Amino acid sequence: MKEALISLILPLTVLCPLVLAVAMAPNAARSTVARLAPWVPLPALLLAVLAPSNLSLSLPWLLLGTRLALVNDTARLFLLFTALLWLLSGIYARAYFSGQQGIHRFFVYFLLSMTGNIGLILAQDLTSFYLFFTLMSFASYGLVVHERSSLSLHAGRIYIILVVIGEVALFSALVLATTATKSTEFHLVRQGLAQAESRDLIMLLALIGFGIKAGVLGLHMWLPLAHPVAPTPASAVLSGAMIKAGLLGWLQLLPLGEVMLLQWGEAYITLGLAAAFYGVLVGLTQRDPKTLLAYSSISQMGILTMAVGLGLMSPAAYPVILPVITLYALHHGLSKGALFLGVGVIRACSGAKRRRVWLAMWLPALALAGAPLTSGMAAKFLLKAQIGNAPDTWVLVLQTLLPASGVATALLVGRCLILLHQPRTGDSGNHSARGLVWPWALLVTAVAVLPWWFVPETPERWIHAAFTASLWPVLLGAVLAIAAVGWRARLVRSRERVDGQLSTRYLMPQIPPGDILVPMSRWMTPALTHVCRLAEERLPTRREVLLSSLKKTWSNMHWQGLLATIESSLSHWPTALVILVLLGLLAAALAIIA
Amino acid sequence: MNLDPWVPILVIASSLLPGLIIFSLAENSVRLRTGLNLTGALLNLVLVGWMLWGVYLGHRYEARLALLPDLELVLLADTLSLLFITLSAVLWLVTTVYAIGYLKGSPHRSRFFGFFSLCVTSTAGVSLAGNLITFLLFYELLTLATYPLIMHHGTEVARRAGRSYLVYTIFGGALLLLGTVWLYTLTGTLEFTPRGLLNGMGEEHRPALRAIFALLIAGLGVKAALVPLHGWLPQAMVAPAPVSALLHAVAVVKAGAFGIVRIVYEVFGVEFAAGLGVTAPLAWLAATTIIYGSLRALFQDDLKRMLAFSTVSQVSYITLGVAIVGPVATIGGMVHLVHQGFMKITLFLCAGNLAETLGVHKISEMNGVGRRMPWTMAAFTVGAFGMIGAPPVAGFISKWYLGLGALEAGQGWVIFVLAGSSLLTASYFLPVLHAVWFREPPVCWPKEHHFGLRETAWALLLPPLATAVMALGAGLLAAMPFSPLNWAKLIAAREFYLP
Repeated sequence: MKEALISLILPLTVLCPLVLAVAMAPNAARSTVARLAPWVPLPALLLAVLAPSNLSLSLPWLLLGTRLALVNDTARLFLLFTALLWLLSGIYARAYFSGQQGIHRFFVYFLLSMTGNIGLILAQDLTSFYLFFTLMSFASYGLVVHERSSLSLHAGRIYIILVVIGEVALFSALVLATTATKSTEFHLVRQGLAQAESRDLIMLLALIGFGIKAGVLGLHMWLPLAHPVAPTPASAVLSGAMIKAGLLGWLQLLPLGEVMLLQWGEAYITLGLAAAFYGVLVGLTQRDPKTLLAYSSISQMGILTMAVGLGLMSPAAYPVILPVITLYALHHGLSKGALFLGVGVIRACSGAKRRRVWLAMWLPALALAGAPLTSGMAAKFLLKAQIGNAPDTWVLVLQTLLPASGVATALLVGRCLILLHQPRTGDSGNHSARGLVWPWALLVTAVAVLPWWFVPETPERWIHAAFTASLWPVLLGAVLAIAAVGWRARLVRSRERVDGQLSTRYLMPQIPPGDILVPMSRWMTPALTHVCRLAEERLPTRREVLLSSLKKTWSNMHWQGLLATIESSLSHWPTALVILVLLGLLAAALAIIA
Repeated sequence: MNLDPWVPILVIASSLLPGLIIFSLAENSVRLRTGLNLTGALLNLVLVGWMLWGVYLGHRYEARLALLPDLELVLLADTLSLLFITLSAVLWLVTTVYAIGYLKGSPHRSRFFGFFSLCVTSTAGVSLAGNLITFLLFYELLTLATYPLIMHHGTEVARRAGRSYLVYTIFGGALLLLGTVWLYTLTGTLEFTPRGLLNGMGEEHRPALRAIFALLIAGLGVKAALVPLHGWLPQAMVAPAPVSALLHAVAVVKAGAFGIVRIVYEVFGVEFAAGLGVTAPLAWLAATTIIYGSLRALFQDDLKRMLAFSTVSQVSYITLGVAIVGPVATIGGMVHLVHQGFMKITLFLCAGNLAETLGVHKISEMNGVGRRMPWTMAAFTVGAFGMIGAPPVAGFISKWYLGLGALEAGQGWVIFVLAGSSLLTASYFLPVLHAVWFREPPVCWPKEHHFGLRETAWALLLPPLATAVMALGAGLLAAMPFSPLNWAKLIAAREFYLP
């Protein structure tokens, strides 16, 4: 009985948001539907908590045969934090948009993206995964450009270009994978891919297709543009939940645990570590806390990319690495979501309340930095414990760089807290803070409590070791941050004495969000103009030239004159005779051949 | 008495007779005309449904009439002809409803609907043709029936477009005739045969057969809008919206593509054609057309013109699927014959709605139109995403099978063509969708009409919604029995490849 009820929930997780999104269409129903909308992730949440681990639903008539299932704890955890983030962000959004016009429009795209995000976690075959992934990617365009400012339109443009590139790469990867393995079921594809001939091409395409979503270095340009300009509740799900779809895609498709892929592992680790530091470095120069947080997401996803690389290198240890990746994803999803929502709360508050909120923000911030006794400590420590599975050359590199990235993250988080401490012009007043506070407070509580449930089995007394190991990077980061603040204050004071006023020169230089986009557009633009000219001018003119030259030769031939000449020459005796003789010869030749 | 031979004849008659009667009707006998149109279309649909079921169960509907000594007019319903005729029957009904709403109160309606019915008759004939000569007859009739429809408005531009259409298609028809006659001298029969009529032709005929193939494909390529023979299609978009819709989705363009299918599979036989070495050039030609059409569509401001170039690109998917040579690719090509029809007719009907209701013809005028006409534009969005190949719209299924088929046949390069075309298609459709849904509408529209509904008239709104649902359903329910996909699989198994 209970089982039957739970298996009923499975289709509801996807259907509820979808139906509600469609129900937004008629004007009359809109307000009611918008009131219901935040609660639609509840079935998914319920499923994540209650479902037995072998729940599966086959829909052979849907698309090319669909199977939705909750196969393992990875899927369950992904579903858990995804549903929780969508739920709390939805409730938050109700308050965020209260009294504003755009709420209905926002919720249409919000619900569609949610359908995609939840569906792709449950999808067990390539085509339905692709369906949900596509739905999420395209629908979240509506979230990115929601504000319609020039900034958000620019961000949307970059976002959608990368989405389309990613879609195409993914499509090619999936077609290749299906052909190579003769299957569309993920678990069969993973196995088959290990020995497939086209494996490397498929993995490259998957790196691009999913990497765009996950913000892999080099494909991350859209992320610091799009995440901050979206309305705050949308930023939270973009950076907390949807970004993990790329990671999940890798976990589902790549032959992890099946075969040792040393080069690919090295590539993922290199890319991941580079992103971990690059994200922090560029993030430190940002002045908008949301942009800074987006860069922090790039950096944290870098760590996860590295962990995937670790799994590619050491298939034997993958069963142990996977739970750690999952825990890390859960930890990052929740804390990043809490930080993004918190930015909105702080902006809506003032005075003592603002200070209290700011203090509470320390919790997700410290968790992100991996401070002792936070979920970050557990995630990072357990990840570090897996380094030993890598080949020796990499162990040393990782043992140095992973703690170093912890220091870097601590610095970045410190910078974020400092930025949030300073009141900004234009803050507060727009939103009713009360409605914003409690979903955010719930999420902060979840950051503190939830991950502890899912810490994988480990040797005893590990907490003790983790505590000491996690202490020093955070402390070092804090010391560095304080030193930097003090140094800058002194610098500013000494200059002030000279100039009498504070000049922008002494502010930190800012790298424009989207960083490599700036040099990229420098060579992209001429290339694009070239293509434009080809399609718009050259191709049509070529065709015109060809046609007109054909026409000219046609009209230049004096047909009448030509025919008359032939006719008159035929009427001469000698010509006719010659032709007759020739014809006779031809007939004779044909007769002989036959 | 065996009724089976009569069914295909009745199908032809169900559109021919109403058409002939409508010609003789007075302009103002609206009721009778509408009644005739709808009865014909419904009857046609029922008969086709009957045949569909019968053929599924293994029946054979075949009618033979003596035409010339040794040459017969053959109407034959096999799985392949049913794929095409079902599409035309369904879309004819939809378009008829639309055309009735679209032309309400405009002049020359009897002429219009008369030729409209003739056009459908010839399409039905093309799909039911059981030999090349029957095919040729209806193919030429189609040319003549569409010509007045393209020029319906009678403006200078329309006349020029009509003339250009006629020049192109007559020329194409001549090539086709030449090829057919030459083929007849070699084989002495023109029957469409499963797995090929020419199978087992001797080695000495190969050069001649290559030349015949080139002639036939060039003749059909005019209607199928293969580059460089596509010039008439973007001009023909001056026709009234229902005509464009039918032209691009079923009638003319598809007749060409369908002809190519028949020629490759049932005249030459696909393996024989591959042995002749003629399929590889055809595949390259199709690939070029796909990319060229998309590139040209990229910079059009006129909505219908953009859609026309998009057709050039999309119809060649069918040819590509044929030319890749392999059962899976065949399925992809066949199924796109139906899928492209659903999607493209949706887009054209939506474009017609914009023009009729708001006077919007250009993409640059479409800002914020999603707020004024949400349902129409929702249908348009479905069509556009289908063209891009995004799931769950039907276009995805076609691309998926084409991709799988290309890899199976060892032609990996096709993946690049598919990817490139998806990129380009996205780059010309997504900006339109952005303008439609995310830009502010202007203060007033170029030429606004008010109909009964808030959005537009019922007769204009329901048809594109219906076809959008079909495009969505054909993709979402692709694994269901009787879905276009499963029918295409049936064709590939029964007609083209030995199981």
